[in-house]
Amino acid sequence: MSMQLGILIAVFLFPGGLFALALGLILKGLDRRVAARLQGRIGPPLRQPFYDLIKLAFKRTMVPTFANQPVFLGAPLVGVVSMLLAVALVPLSGVYDPNPILGNLIVLLYILMIPAVVLMIAGSSSASPYGAIGFSREMTLMLAYEAPIVLVVLAVAMRVGMAQGEVMTFSLTEIIAYQRANGIFLLDPVMWPALAAFALFFPANLGIIPFDIPEAETEVLEGPLLEYTGPALGLFKVMSALKAVVVLSLGIALFAPLNLGGVWGFLGWLLELTLLMEFGVTAVRLSMGRMRIDQAFAFFLKWPLLLATASVVTVALAT
Amino acid sequence: MNFLSLFARNLIEGPYTDPFPFKPAPTAKRFRGKIAFDPVTCEACRQCERVCPAGAIRFTRTKDGLEFDCWHDSCVFCGNCEFHCPTGAIHQTVDWHLAHGQADKFSAVEHGLIPFKVCPSCGGKALDSAPATAGITPALSAEEAGELRALCPKCRAKFIKARRTRT
Amino acid sequence: MTMISKLKSMAVKSPWIYRINAGSCNGCDVEMATTALIPRYDVERLGCQYCGSPRHADIVLISGPLTRGVVDAALKVFAEIPDPKVTVAVGVCPISGGIFRESYAILAPIDQYFPVDVNVPGCPPRPQAIIEGIAQAVAIWRDRL
Repeated sequence: MSMQLGILIAVFLFPGGLFALALGLILKGLDRRVAARLQGRIGPPLRQPFYDLIKLAFKRTMVPTFANQPVFLGAPLVGVVSMLLAVALVPLSGVYDPNPILGNLIVLLYILMIPAVVLMIAGSSSASPYGAIGFSREMTLMLAYEAPIVLVVLAVAMRVGMAQGEVMTFSLTEIIAYQRANGIFLLDPVMWPALAAFALFFPANLGIIPFDIPEAETEVLEGPLLEYTGPALGLFKVMSALKAVVVLSLGIALFAPLNLGGVWGFLGWLLELTLLMEFGVTAVRLSMGRMRIDQAFAFFLKWPLLLATASVVTVALAT
Repeated sequence: MNFLSLFARNLIEGPYTDPFPFKPAPTAKRFRGKIAFDPVTCEACRQCERVCPAGAIRFTRTKDGLEFDCWHDSCVFCGNCEFHCPTGAIHQTVDWHLAHGQADKFSAVEHGLIPFKVCPSCGGKALDSAPATAGITPALSAEEAGELRALCPKCRAKFIKARRTRT
Repeated sequence: MTMISKLKSMAVKSPWIYRINAGSCNGCDVEMATTALIPRYDVERLGCQYCGSPRHADIVLISGPLTRGVVDAALKVFAEIPDPKVTVAVGVCPISGGIFRESYAILAPIDQYFPVDVNVPGCPPRPQAIIEGIAQAVAIWRDRL
């Protein structure tokens, strides 16, 4: 009973659910605020994403005439639920360890792909040509970034697993324990190719500017989200806020978990998350232009794949 | 890497944003804003009505006199009326606070009335408009101008003719 | 009840804006773009955001004298905007027709076709005037929410 209670708390309160939602929205607000400051503007208040969500809750939901209504309205729900589960799967070093029954890194990898799939379904069920374009772009991009991230995770799993005498381990808790004992992978030259590949992967997964091709506002008018109104759109905003927390904290867990515990570990994790958001997301999205989908596809099949393969090879040779 | 120095500069110097909705916005001295009309100096030549490209200016003769109306919702702020006005009775202010609700759409009007008067010389009814003083040499003195203003157009012509023969 | 009104007063801090160009010369559109894109006028600090999709919008800015060619499309797009919405006519063209008034090619004033709430005259209105118009529109929107 207490195990189930623990899982429920992890999914709905901390670190998933309400906490992750608030954190994700604040990170989004921070992102917009800092972006505005870098551009010489004042920018919206930090609470702006909360206001947006409340506003969206007051709006009317409209379903396009030719849309498939159950799929159209169900897609964002699936996305939010998957992200709630995903947040509960990522451990916080020294603060929170997910129950092994929830799943391991492989399950997390699968769940991480659900938002992209949900966007594809949303785009295709909305009966809008822009949604269809967004669908095809999202699919192309997903095919491109899928292989590198799998190889990166494989490299990390091999590094930890081989040190423990197995072939690989997919438990994030063990990966963090290994890094706490032997130093973080951020400072380990053997893992740098994997780190570089991950750094190229996460802007694509989060859909920020060099790779926000499926939702490009100036090209395809937010693509799959074009036809969504009111609460349904709000669910997508919730999904993307949760996803930012998941992907960023996965990056922290894979490469730079802090060797702290308790309150300090939690605060340090928050600091890492914020820094990653500012330097990895805000600065990147402001300093680049958007790639074309074919450029992005070619790019992902070239550099991140190369780096990820190299990382697997170096890890295999080094240990 | 130019953008990095740009980012740094923006962070250090702070935002450029005007504090507009919370504080008054800076407005240029020669900003072409809302039209203002002064019925006292108007000659009633109706040149502004003729040159207005948007047809925003309209003169109507009513029982009270000559009414001037400029509808701000049609005015394009080109400044033609001010340019062509011989006396500067119509001019553009720097006021740009023109946003208004739909209920006020047809009351967003600059209104002026040039009333009728009785000519002290002939006793006829005439518009109390400013006399055309351009080209009169030597220039009118203040008393002469006041006297001229009080007259009706016909008596004004007589007045000026008499003055010309006098000098 | 107070909870809901509190939430509403939070909700009005995020007016999302959509532009309909009903045959405008682009003068007003440029001024609208400056309110969002130029750091000096930064409309985003008021929570506003220009959105690409009419379905996300709360406040509609219409510019242009509503030419005959565009009227059907403009009405169709306007119908796609979910309630509650507020309409702002930007520039003299949609309000009265401006210099195009009484032309056979235009259907201005647009309040014959759209339920206009706020008028922002000007040719074009300066960005601050547009921001002022948006502020009035937000006040109206608060009551409709």
